[in-house]
Parts: sequence; C-alpha cells; structure tokens
Amino acid sequence: MIAIDILINGLLLGGLYALFGLGLSLIFGVMKITNIAHGEFAIGGAYLVVTAVLFLGVPLWVAVPVALLVAFGIGFALQLVLINRVLGDDPMPALLTTFGLSIVIQNLLVEVFGADNRALDIGLLATSGISVGGFSIGVFPVIMFTIAIGLFACLHWMLNRSKTGRNVRATSDDPEIVVMMGVDRARVFAMIMGLSAALAALAGILLAMRGSITPFSGAERLLIAFEVIVIGGLGSIWGSLAGGLVLGLVHVIALRLDPSSGPLYGHLLLLLILLARPEGLAGKVHSR
Amino acid sequence: MMLEVRGLAKAFGALTVIDDVSVTVSGGQALGVMGPNGAGKSTFFDLLTGITPADAGQVCLNGTDLSRLSTEARVRHGLVRAFQIPKPFATLTVREHLILAATAGAGLDRKAALREADNVLERTGLTGLAAQTGGSLRLLDRKRLELAKTLATRPRVILLDEISGGLTEGEVHALVDLIHSLKSPDLVILWIEHIAHALSATCDRIMMLHLGRKVIEDTPDKVTSDARVRELYLGAVPHA
Repeated sequence: MIAIDILINGLLLGGLYALFGLGLSLIFGVMKITNIAHGEFAIGGAYLVVTAVLFLGVPLWVAVPVALLVAFGIGFALQLVLINRVLGDDPMPALLTTFGLSIVIQNLLVEVFGADNRALDIGLLATSGISVGGFSIGVFPVIMFTIAIGLFACLHWMLNRSKTGRNVRATSDDPEIVVMMGVDRARVFAMIMGLSAALAALAGILLAMRGSITPFSGAERLLIAFEVIVIGGLGSIWGSLAGGLVLGLVHVIALRLDPSSGPLYGHLLLLLILLARPEGLAGKVHSR
Repeated sequence: MMLEVRGLAKAFGALTVIDDVSVTVSGGQALGVMGPNGAGKSTFFDLLTGITPADAGQVCLNGTDLSRLSTEARVRHGLVRAFQIPKPFATLTVREHLILAATAGAGLDRKAALREADNVLERTGLTGLAAQTGGSLRLLDRKRLELAKTLATRPRVILLDEISGGLTEGEVHALVDLIHSLKSPDLVILWIEHIAHALSATCDRIMMLHLGRKVIEDTPDKVTSDARVRELYLGAVPHA
C-alpha cells in the first residue's frame, strides 16, 4: 500500500520536475547551449505573479497567463538583443552571458522583493484531496501533473506537425543550412528562448503554489532541470519527461526511507546514469 | 530576370581571394564558373549568398541591390545555392525538406507549399522517397534532394557548386539533362564545375577565375580554346 502511495506521489512530483527540464531541453536541442539563468527565469516568473496578485490585486487566474506571456516576451527579446550576438562555434560566451543574466535577475529579485519566503495562495486547492481506492491523492499535484503532460503533448505536436516546428527541427539538425533555405534563424532561436522562458515561468509559478520560493531558489531549480535532461538524454523532449518522472520517484522514495537526505539520492542517480549510460535514457536530439 | 555583379571583392587579411569581379547573367542563361583550386570559385558563391560579407561590390537582382541583405533574405529574393556536399536535415523527411523550402524560401502558405513539394518531388524523381528521412538517403538521392530543395524555394538565381562531384559518368549525364530542363527566362543559373564537358554542354557562357581575378568570360568554345585557359587549367589535359 505504502509502495503504491510513494509511486503515485513520486510520479506527480516528477511531472513538475519534467516541466523544469523541458525548457532547458528545448534550448539545448536547438541551440546546443545551456541556459544558466533557467532557474532564475522560473523564479522570476513566479515573482511576476506574486507582484500581480499581492501588490496589484490582480486575480490569480488572470495573473498567470499574463505572466507567461511576459516571460515569453522577455525570453524572446533577450535572445534577439543579447544571446544571438554571442552564439557561435564556441559555447562558452553564451554560457557566461546566461550566467551573468542569472546573477543579475537574482539580485534584482532580492532588491525588489527582499529575501523573504513568498508563496502563492491557491486556497482550498492546496490541501484538498480525492480518495481513490483507499489512497488519498492531492488534487493540486494531479493538476500539475496533467498540465505537464499536456504541455509535453502540445510541444510534441508543434514540433512534428506545424511549420514552426519544422523550422525548429531543421535548425536543430543543421543551423547553417536552414539559413540557406530562407529560414530566419535568429527568430527561430528567439522563439525557442521565449517558449523556454514561459515553460520555466510556469514551473516556477506551480512551485510557488505548491510551497514557497525565495530569490535564491533558482540555483536549486536549475540543478533539478539539469539532472532531468541529463538523466533523460540531452535535447530529447520525451527523455525530459522520463527524466523528470524518474527523478521525482527517487526523491520521494529517498525522503521516505531517509528523511534527512534531501536531494542526495537524486544526485547519486545522476552519477549512476552518467556512468552507465552517458547519453541518457533516450539520448537522441529530437522528438520522435 | 537579370543578375548583375559589380566589382565584387574580398580579402582575408593580406590575401585577396576575390579581386574586382563583375559579371552579368540574364534569365534563361547559364554561366559556368571554372578555375583551378584556390581560384576563389567557392568564395565567389559565398559572397553572392552573403554567408561571407563582401569588402566591396554589388549584387543586384533585377535592379534590386541585395548586397546589404542577410543570407536568408537573399534566399527569399530568389538567390539560392546547392552545395557540393549535400547537407540534408537528418531527421526531416524528404517531403518536409521541400515544404520547408517552399514556406521559408518561397513564402508559400501551407496548401501551396504542399502542392509545390509534390510538384518538385515529381520533377526530380524523388516521389518514391518522400517519406524517408534526409539522414537515410544515399549519395545520388542526396544530390537530387539538394537540387530539389533549391527548386522548392522558387529560385530566380541558382548557384550550383560542383554538384556532379562523386557521381558516375551516367549520373552526370542525367544531372546535365535535369539542369538543361530547368532553363527558363525566369531563371539564372551559375554553375561551378571541374568537369569541362558538363559545363560546355549546358552553359551559354563560361567565366574563368584565377587567383580571384576574372581571366576570361566568353562562349564555351572560345574559353576552352583560349591559350591562357589551356595554360592555366586545361594544360594538364591536352585536347580535352
């Protein structure tokens, strides 16, 4: 009985982890760089909603979509005016640029909001549960999980069926040649960064609804996102989902067996995967 | 249709690779580009597509100056290049390549792009391979796809970069026939090739480059019989 309970909770938490990894995976798959500011994008997105709800009195259901649009816009603009300029054969300049961005965003958040814990109040939803066959399952974790799976499905559809997705896959295959076919690569990159920022922001918002955040929460989220995409296989969309679910399971199991272990067993799993299967569980750079 | 190149120049440091090259090609015509290794042929194409920025000179298509445009913008104006070593997208199907070219390059909407893709598949004999991914094709089919891709962008100028390399004699003939069939008043063809007879058979004029300079530009007969050309290039193959 306890085993099934752990399984369910682990998978539900894994959905959120997968969402953290998804945006990072997109960036890596298309641009072959990692975004060190990914965690700050997530936390920054949550603070956008905190600002709207706590300080401006906007209802939550309005604040969330607006914050996601704003996050998309910020990601899009940052890529166009900043990151596109430093992309090249050497990934280091882009890496350092996003590292700088992460510091700037974090300090900005501390400056504006202070270092206190913040949370987004979702009322009864936070505590209500449903009883299924003797198990009590939280409604909110189920909603989170459903959103995550839904987004993976949407993204899969977009990549494989839409014109934008075709451009994205072609850019991921060969960023030099797409230009020779008339594709505006700078725009494709900006779109992907915007999408990644919006996905990160959504994950951050869900995190703030589930528990609490501080301006320093970003680093820990980045670490989880990294572990998710390395476990799943760099650049693979479905690998990220698998990576998230596995990591969620490991965290929940470990916390049950050894309550003071924190993320230790997740890190150990990462090491194990790197030793046994360095290319990750899926290990291919596309969504098929 | 009229492609005008005026005073194109490029130097890498002290090394001048393209030195004041001008040439005009009108629609329906094919210009062969010849020259020994290091003559600057590929750099010439790089400058035309804008993937390498030129130091000086203009590239005009029907009077529109493309010199300051990005490579992708030039493609949308109809100036496209097919590569010596075909570079298909590994995970896209053949049909997707053509749809991509038709939407991004030719600016067609979804329906028109699908029609264009099927049309080009038919013309290039790739219909049977439409569902295969680019990574799974063999060399000749990759070459065909390379040409098909450029066609699906609805080109006004095609730059062919040694596309016959690695093909057998028979395959080269098939390729020459295909390129011949492309000729139309709406299309300018520029073709870099080492195989002189392939160029002579297809091209109306041939331009010879040496050390970045234009040595001669004339009809194939006159170029291949020119003393300077024989000395520079055909010297190794007498009576070619």
